[in-house]
Amino acid sequence: MDPSNDPQLIALLDRLANPSLPLRTREQAFRTLYELTARKLYGLALRVVGNRDWAEDVLQEAYLQVWRTADSYRSTLSPPMAWLGLIVRSRALDFLRRRASERADRTVEIDGELEDSLPGDAANPMDTQQASEAAWALHECLRKLEARQREVVSLAYLRDLSHGELAAQLKLPLGTVKTWIRRGIDQLRGCMGRFA
Amino acid sequence: MNLLHSPELADRLAAAYALGTLRGGARRRFEALARQSPTLRATALVWQERLAAMTELQTQEAPSANVWKRIEIALRRDAEARATKDGRSGPPARVGFWRAAALAGGFATVAAFTLAAYTGSQLTEVSAAPQIRYVAMLHDDRSAPAMLVTFDARHGTLTLKRLGPFREPSDQSLQLWALPPGAAPQSLGVVQGGTVVHLTAAEGQLRQVPALAISLEPRGGAPVGSGPTGPVLFKGAFVPTT
Repeated sequence: MDPSNDPQLIALLDRLANPSLPLRTREQAFRTLYELTARKLYGLALRVVGNRDWAEDVLQEAYLQVWRTADSYRSTLSPPMAWLGLIVRSRALDFLRRRASERADRTVEIDGELEDSLPGDAANPMDTQQASEAAWALHECLRKLEARQREVVSLAYLRDLSHGELAAQLKLPLGTVKTWIRRGIDQLRGCMGRFA
Repeated sequence: MNLLHSPELADRLAAAYALGTLRGGARRRFEALARQSPTLRATALVWQERLAAMTELQTQEAPSANVWKRIEIALRRDAEARATKDGRSGPPARVGFWRAAALAGGFATVAAFTLAAYTGSQLTEVSAAPQIRYVAMLHDDRSAPAMLVTFDARHGTLTLKRLGPFREPSDQSLQLWALPPGAAPQSLGVVQGGTVVHLTAAEGQLRQVPALAISLEPRGGAPVGSGPTGPVLFKGAFVPTT
């Protein structure tokens, strides 16, 4: 049984990448793909960049990359949402880097209000639609971490932050961040092994 | 302690590597070992895949309807640019176009596609037969080969392969530039990551570019639109393969 939309998403990616189809057909496939995935990917972009306007810029860049590189999707052997998610994360990180280099005098501003209102990820019951098996396993394992610890581990990955950067963004002592990351990794190692 | 003889330590470091918290010298040492050990490489890939699932776990939220409108505009411009390009050697297809429909606030994201290095996991290597249209060997100031650059026209991908021992400090980035004759250098993207790096580029950006160069910039690259701000480390002729 495949509870996800994977076959449908894969078919859409194939269609939009197929140069022998009329442009119109390819664009329709792209549109459908967008409608099926934009909410999830916007949520991801928002979580990485922490600001709605920026997340929309990121989302747009990411979908244009999808349009241009969909022909390489099959060779990745990844579930479609994982592939799309990596593209969005890459674009979001590029965005933050560009921004940081343009405004080297200021640290990356995360919208404080938004940050508080953004629910953390894996604490919520999972939307199993479109979720890959890997996502389910990670969700279960992250759920076993204490909330703050889960947050530190998630942000380390999603925002590509070092221990020092995490400490600064989350206003936590460096030692605490290091300890939580180390424990988080150890707990994930123990837990993820069972799903492998 | 020999990492390769301690599976537990290897697994812990691979997880930290994939999470991104393994940094600096430790990260470079891990990468060097992984290049020699298929087992360690596989462990790192497993962790990259496991953690990539993090991107699927975020709370959903609807983007504004403007996003799709801007995408549509960009697609149309893209198609027009391609039509011009196919006709004759039209103007290079600069891709900052969607800002034409820009909403208020923010700043020019012109470099987005030129910077579009898909630095994600190695699981996303492009495998469909590439069409290598251009190649460049970049040398350092002592004429030693430092970087091999190829352009795959089929995928619009520049592939950079490091050949020398040079690694930039963690607070700096390398940036690739096209050096068109009689014009300012144009950024082709920031070179992040490992031995092999992919950047997206339109063929129009590379036509009639006789040389490429790599400069050392602050982490994340030179400010958009500024041209290189740091020293040029490598450079070389950029030649068509046919």
